[in-house]
Amino acid sequence: MPMVRRPDFLPDLPSWSRKALFALALSAICLAFAFPVLWLMLTSVRPESGVYYVHRGTEFTLGNFAEVLRDDRIVEAFLNSALIATLATVFSLLVTVSSGYMLSRFTGPASRIWFGTIYVFRCVPYISWVLPLYFVTQSWGIYDTYLGLLLPHVAVHICFFSWLMKGFFDGIDPSMEYAAMIDGCTRWGAFVRVAIPSALPAISALAVLCWLFTWNEFLFALILTGNRVPMITVVMAQFVTEMGLRWNLMAATAVMALGPAFLLALFGQKYVIRGLRI
Amino acid sequence: MFGEQQRFMLLLIAPAALLLLLFQVVPIAIGANASFRNWALYNPKKTWVGLDHYHAVISDPAFLYVVLPNTFLFMVLSVTGALVVGLALALLLNRPFHGQKLVQTVLLVPLMVAPVVAAIMVRWMFNDQFGIVNAVLEAIGLDGQPWLVQRWSAFGIILLTDIWLWTPWFTLLLLAGLQSLPKEPFEAAAIDGTTTWRVFRFLTLPMLRPVIVVCVVIRAIDAFRTFDIVWTLTGGGPGRSTELFSLYAYVHAFLNLDLGRGSAAAIIGGLIILVIGVALYRLVDRIAKA
Repeated sequence: MPMVRRPDFLPDLPSWSRKALFALALSAICLAFAFPVLWLMLTSVRPESGVYYVHRGTEFTLGNFAEVLRDDRIVEAFLNSALIATLATVFSLLVTVSSGYMLSRFTGPASRIWFGTIYVFRCVPYISWVLPLYFVTQSWGIYDTYLGLLLPHVAVHICFFSWLMKGFFDGIDPSMEYAAMIDGCTRWGAFVRVAIPSALPAISALAVLCWLFTWNEFLFALILTGNRVPMITVVMAQFVTEMGLRWNLMAATAVMALGPAFLLALFGQKYVIRGLRI
Repeated sequence: MFGEQQRFMLLLIAPAALLLLLFQVVPIAIGANASFRNWALYNPKKTWVGLDHYHAVISDPAFLYVVLPNTFLFMVLSVTGALVVGLALALLLNRPFHGQKLVQTVLLVPLMVAPVVAAIMVRWMFNDQFGIVNAVLEAIGLDGQPWLVQRWSAFGIILLTDIWLWTPWFTLLLLAGLQSLPKEPFEAAAIDGTTTWRVFRFLTLPMLRPVIVVCVVIRAIDAFRTFDIVWTLTGGGPGRSTELFSLYAYVHAFLNLDLGRGSAAAIIGGLIILVIGVALYRLVDRIAKA
C-alpha cells in the first residue's frame, strides 16, 4: 500500500518535529511491548537481597541461574517440555498436513463433513475434554507418562492446523500436481513429491508455531501430569504459589523458559511471517 | 467398496480422525456421562442423578452473576482491545521507515512468551509491596494500590495481560492481510487526494474485513476458554470474583473433587461457545460471500 501523500495528522508542524513525534510514539510502543520481559530479565540477575529494590541496586549476579539449575526437578521439567514440544511438532505436522491437503483439494460431502467436524471441535473449550481426559488416560494406564501428554497435545492441534494447512494449500496452484499425475505419478506421489515441497514455507511456519504452543501450554500439563513428568509451565506456576517471595529465582526460571522460544522465534520469524501471508 | 479417490481421501484424514476420536470425542462422551452422575471420589457407585448437576450449576449465583458475566466481558473486551491495538500497529508497520524490522521483532515478543510466564511477570510488576508499578506511583506522589486483591483492578490487569499477549497475533495476521491487498485502489485514491482517514474507512477497512473477521472468530473462541493467565495471576480471586468459566469447571472438578458438577459446568460452557461459534461462522460465511 503506497502512501505517497504526506499524512494529514498534525499538518502544521515542520517535518523534523513530525519525525521526532513519530519516533517517540514508536519507542513508547516498543517499550510497552518489551518492558515486562526486560523487567523480568533485570530481576533475574539481581541477588536475593536486591530483589525488593530492583530499580535501584547496582549488584548483579548470575547466581540465580546456577541455583535454579541445581534443582533437579526444574532441569527435568525443561528437558520434558523440550522433548514433548519436539515430538508433538513432528506428529502434529504428519497428521495435519495430509488432513489440510484433503480439505483443500477435494470438495463434496466427505470434505464438508470433515471440515464441519474440525470447526465444531475447534470451538470446544479445552477444559471440556481435558477434564474427563484425566480419567481416560488413567484407565488406559498412560496418565502422567510421555505418551499420555503427547497424544492429547497432537490431538489439540488437529483442528486449528488442518484449517491453517487448508488455507496454505488453497494458495498453491494444483495444476503442477495434475501434471505430475498425467506423467504417471500416483495421487500419493503427487502429494508427497509435488504438493508438500511447494508447501514447505507454510509447513515451517506451522512447525515454529506448534513448537511454541506446546512449549507454552499449561492446562494440559497441569491436569494430565503428576510428579513423574513435570513440565516447565506447571513447575513455574507452582513456584508462584509455593515460593511466592523468591522472585529472583522465579525470574531466572522464567527467563530460561523464554530462551528456547526466543531463539526459535528469532530464527523462525521470517518463516512465520512468510508462511502466514499465503 | 470405495473408489480409488475415496480411499485416498480417507487415508489422508484417517490418522487425524482417529486421534480426534480417541482424545476428543471419547473424553467428551465420558465427561457427558459423568455430568449425569454423582461422580465424586468418595462415591464408588457413581449414582445416576440425571440433570441435578446442571440444575446446581445454572442456579449457582456464583456461576450466574460472577462467572458468566466475567467470561463474556473478558471475551468482548480482550478481543476488541487486541483488535484495535493490533490493527493500529499493523497499519504502522505497513509503511516503510527506518528500523521497521527492529520494531516488528520487538512487537512479536509477547507471541513467544508463555501465558504462565506473562502472568508471573505481571504479578511481579504489580506486586503491592515491591512491584515497579507501585514504586513508580509512590515516586510521583500517588498511593500504591493492592492491585491483585481488588476485584476490578485485578480483572483489569488480567485483561491487560491478555491484550498484551494476543495483540501480536492480530498484528501479524492483519499485516499479512494488508500486504496482500491490491495496490491500484490506493494509488487511485492518492491521485484523487483522498484523506488518510477516508482511505482507511472506505478502502482499507472494507478490503481487510474478511481477515479481521477470521481473526476475531479465532480469538473470541480462545478468549472464552482462557485459563492459564487467570490461574497464575489471581487464581480466580479475590474470593471468586475474577473466576472465568474454565476456572469454575476446574475448581469444582479438581479442588472440590466433584467431577460430576465440574463436567456439567464444562458441558454448559461448551454448549454456549458452540452456539456462539456457529453464529460467528455464519457471519464469516456471509461476509466472505458478500
